[in-house]
Formats: sequence, structure tokens, C-alpha cells
Amino acid sequence: MTLHSPMMVDDRAHGLFRVHRSAFTSDEVLERERTEIFDQAWVYVGHESEITEPNAFLTRRVAGRTVIFNRDRGGVVRVMLNTCRHRGAEVCRETKGSSRVFTCFYHGWAYDNTGRLVSVPDGDSYSAEFDRSKLALHQPRSDSYRGFVFATFGTDAPPLDEYLADAKHLIDLVADQSETGMEIVAGTHNYSMRANWKLLMENSVDGYHGITVHQTYFEMMMNLGVTPPGTDGVRTIGRGVDLGNGHGVIVNPELGSPLMAPEVRDEMASRRAAFVGRFGEYRASLMANNTRNMGIFPNMVIVDLVWGIQVRTMYPISPGHTEITGWQLMPSDASDAVRRYRIDNALTFWGPAGLATPDDVEGLEQCQRGFASVKEVEWSDISRGMNKPVPSVVDELQMRTFWREWNRRITGTGYEREGEPFAAAYPGGISEGTASAPAGVGL
Amino acid sequence: MTDTAQLDGPDVTGTTEFTRAALEDFLFHEAALLDEWRLEEWLDLFTDDCVYEIPAPDLPESDASRTFSLIHDRRTLLEQRVIRLKKPTAHAEFPHSRTRRLITNVRVLGHTLDEVMVGANFAVYRLRNGRDVCYVGRYEYVLKVTRGGLKIKHRKVLLDQTVLDPHGKISIIL
Repeated sequence: MTLHSPMMVDDRAHGLFRVHRSAFTSDEVLERERTEIFDQAWVYVGHESEITEPNAFLTRRVAGRTVIFNRDRGGVVRVMLNTCRHRGAEVCRETKGSSRVFTCFYHGWAYDNTGRLVSVPDGDSYSAEFDRSKLALHQPRSDSYRGFVFATFGTDAPPLDEYLADAKHLIDLVADQSETGMEIVAGTHNYSMRANWKLLMENSVDGYHGITVHQTYFEMMMNLGVTPPGTDGVRTIGRGVDLGNGHGVIVNPELGSPLMAPEVRDEMASRRAAFVGRFGEYRASLMANNTRNMGIFPNMVIVDLVWGIQVRTMYPISPGHTEITGWQLMPSDASDAVRRYRIDNALTFWGPAGLATPDDVEGLEQCQRGFASVKEVEWSDISRGMNKPVPSVVDELQMRTFWREWNRRITGTGYEREGEPFAAAYPGGISEGTASAPAGVGL
Repeated sequence: MTDTAQLDGPDVTGTTEFTRAALEDFLFHEAALLDEWRLEEWLDLFTDDCVYEIPAPDLPESDASRTFSLIHDRRTLLEQRVIRLKKPTAHAEFPHSRTRRLITNVRVLGHTLDEVMVGANFAVYRLRNGRDVCYVGRYEYVLKVTRGGLKIKHRKVLLDQTVLDPHGKISIIL
């Protein structure tokens, strides 16, 4: 198996950064991604709010496997591989439900919802060496942070807490938006695109494409009476931040909230006032008046557009074919009016039938078509804003953080961090009690 | 289920009954407007208090305004959707997809004084960039009797596809 060498050019002296386009087209690269990234890194499975009751379960695809994501009879959240230890059939064939037992229909082996093998029909026919206690449903390492549950199929991953690095602070800004907890709204967007999965990771944290790709979206917002930042010619003041371990974020002033009824406006204002009371004005403004597009390496995105929080994952089916899952996160104590308002706004932007996402997918599919010329045009440029002291929201620092970690795992080449770390970008931190904005940081 | 809904309210349209043939004519006309990208005329078929919705494919029976559905447009957003789709900067639909709608199994599901509920099955083909996909599902309409003829008060699209692969861009009107 030979990969192009190098896959990535990270020329700090000249401020140039390129990625070899075989990263998007090569079967060898995809195979390396499966073994070195998806088999090793922490990957998102689901949110605890999706399985609130004991015995609740979901099945979904995670890193190419089918997993059972459930809460067992004792209330413990589990991630179990959905394959019978006998001959391999999936023991659970429903997408969601409530069950104390998962019975494989092929030969009838049954597992309780802690994964233990509890029934083998005609079990007397097995030898004394046949040890049922070693035939539980396989459970990869799993852990959660603020309700977000992750799993890793490898043995070398650091603890989740360490892996998430400074992305934890940004997750906190989402998780703290309700004292009763955040919850995933029922209903899932499952769709695909004919483009490489990494293009969507880039796109999800790409401020540069906003005005060009989403011109019609911004015009729609202006038709409805709001002026998103950047569309009025005023230079945007947002920024990109390296969150460590390949994670990155862009933070930008909010887009504006169109068609807000007075009761919704009042509740949003009182929710913001509660943030100020709990966390201080600066942190409240980060939570309630800024958009944050965060990429968590390798394939999870959390985007808070103030009137809606999108969570999504993307997995490769082949180099040019990606399966995407999108969810919407909501404060669990939101009133009916706010709930409807947030959902309606989120739907105008997100998903297969939104007024924005299809144009993103079109752009990424066009890139993939362009990669047919990879032999003649080998490199994609991701240099924008390189070595600027404070990269802006339309620069590409947050994409380079992804690619350096990707390259490290695929080729073994280590890297130095570019630009200031999170602690320097936010010298006062953004944790509870931070009272005021750090000097010189435009937020 | 009946093929004919008896409307026992005031005679506002010159007829007191709706035949399936008349309702089919309406749905076929709507389909032709969409296939010909005459979206402004299509918009004129809707009432001011209209809803166009596609529930989440994994929750087809759910309320699209309370779940993470695919579309939940009232009149204002429906107008914006049409304005957008007619622009060359609506990249996912420029150049436009070619579409062809097959509408069948039309049934009258019930009626009130001035509204009639209609169900129909659909296959909507979308062809673009050398690829074609076929969306399959069912429509549920609430049509309102007005002096200007029938208007769409509620247009619900129930997709049978649960995973939108290769149907990932619903940038056309379904």
C-alpha cells in the first residue's frame, strides 16, 4: 500500500499549506483512515437524552459497525456491538425501542441488556470448555462528556476527557444552556453525499464560503428583516481557534433571528438573563450572541447558530460517498413556542431540504468531480490566514488543525501547533464566573 | 373511503360535490407547474395560512413543528423558498434539475364544510448531472374551497425513503 508522499505540505516559513487530493480519492487512503483513525480515535455515538428510560435502546452505525446504544435495566448507558457471538447476525433489528433482552433470531441466542449471554437453546450440547461468561456482546470503551457519548474501538486512545482537550470548553457553552439539561429533538436527518467525508468536516467550520455558497440564504434573512454580519460590508470580527488534538472552532457574532414573535423574544431574553446570573455577562454573550462552528476530530460537528444547535457526524462509505447524520439539540426546558421557533429556524438552514445545506452538498460534490483531474492538479490549498496572530472566521486555521492531526495519524508525521493555544486566545478562560472579555479579543 | 365527497355547505364553486376526477385534475395541474418550474404560479395555489411539510422520515406520523422534520414552511418561508429556487445562485438547483412526477392512487379522505382531504401516492424523479433518483411516498392534502377555486391549505409529503441515499439533496419541491 503506497500513499502519495507527502500527503500534506505545511510550510510555516512561507505561510503555505496544501493537501494532496488523493486524500479524497484514494482507496488506500480510506483503508488507512479506517485502521488509523476510525478504529483508534474517540467517535461520537449519541446523546444520553436519546435513551432516558431504563431499557431504552437505539441502533445506529458508528465507524462502519452497527452498535446498540442503550440504557440497561440498572440505568447504565452502554455501547455494544450489534453482532451475535455465535455466527454474527445482528441481535437487534429495530432502530429504537425498549427491551430487556436482545434475542438473535438466527439460532435464538439471547443477551440481556447489559450484554450478558443469558440463553443458548439446547445448551447441553456444548462442551465443558464452552464458557458463556466470555460470550457477552462486545462492548468497546465508551465514555461521555456533558451528555455526549463517545466510543473507541482501539486500545491506545487517551481518556475521553484528555482527548477532547479544549473542545470541552466549547461543549460546555452548549451543555450549560439549560439547567434541566439539553436534549436531542426527535427526528433524524439521515442522508448522503457523493463527496469525501473530510470535505464536509472542512465545510462545517469554513467561514470563507458563507457569502458565496449561502448568498441566497443571507438574502432570505435580509428579506425577513435581519442583516447577518459580513453581508453589510462591515468586516467580521469573529475568529478561529485551535482546540487541540485536531479539534477547531470558529466563533462569530450571531446571524440574527428573523420572524421572532414577542413571546419568543421575551423568553430568549429571560434565558439570556439567566445565563448572565449563572455565568456573567461575557460568558452569556458567548452562549447567546455568538455562533460557534466546532469540529471534533475526526468526524463530529457541533454548530450553535443561536436559534438552533446542529449535531452531525459523517462516515465514509467509499472515498467519494459519505453517509451523514444530523440531529438538533434543544434546551429541555424550552417552552413550546421557543421549541417551534428554534426548529423552524434550524430547518430553514439545515438538512437535506434546508435552504443552505443542499448548496453545501452541491459545492462538495463539485469538488469531488473536480478531483477527477488529480493526476494533473494534485493539490488543494488551505493556506488562508496562515501565521496571522489572530486568524479570522474566514481564515482556515481550524481546517489546518484537522489536517495536521489527520496527517499525523495517516503518515506518522508529527506537527507543531500553529498560532496561539486556547488558553492564550481566552486568557481569562470561558469557564463559570469569567466576568469580562479578555482585552484585544474581538467577541 | 369514498370517491366522492359530498359538500353540504354553501355552494361556493358552482358544484356541491367533488369527484375524484376533478381533484386529480387539480393535482396533475400542480404537478405540471412544478415539473415546468412555474413556481410562482404554484405558489398562487396556496392559501395565506398554508403549511408545506415533510416530517422526519424516521417519524412520519409526527408533528413537523415539534420534531426535527425536513420541511415545515408556512406561507412566508414558502415564498422565500420559491424566491430562492428561481435564482442562479441557488447552486444546488442551477442548472435546474429535470423532474417528472407520477401521481396516482388519488383518494378522497374526507371533508368538512369548506375543505376536502385528499391522499395520493407519488413517484418524483429528479435527473441532474447524469444521475437520477426517485423519491417515493404519499401526499396528504387539505384543499380549501374558495371563490377562486381550490387552494392548498396543507400539503404534507410522507417519504417512504428513511435513509436519503442517494436522495440527499431535496432542493426541488417534492
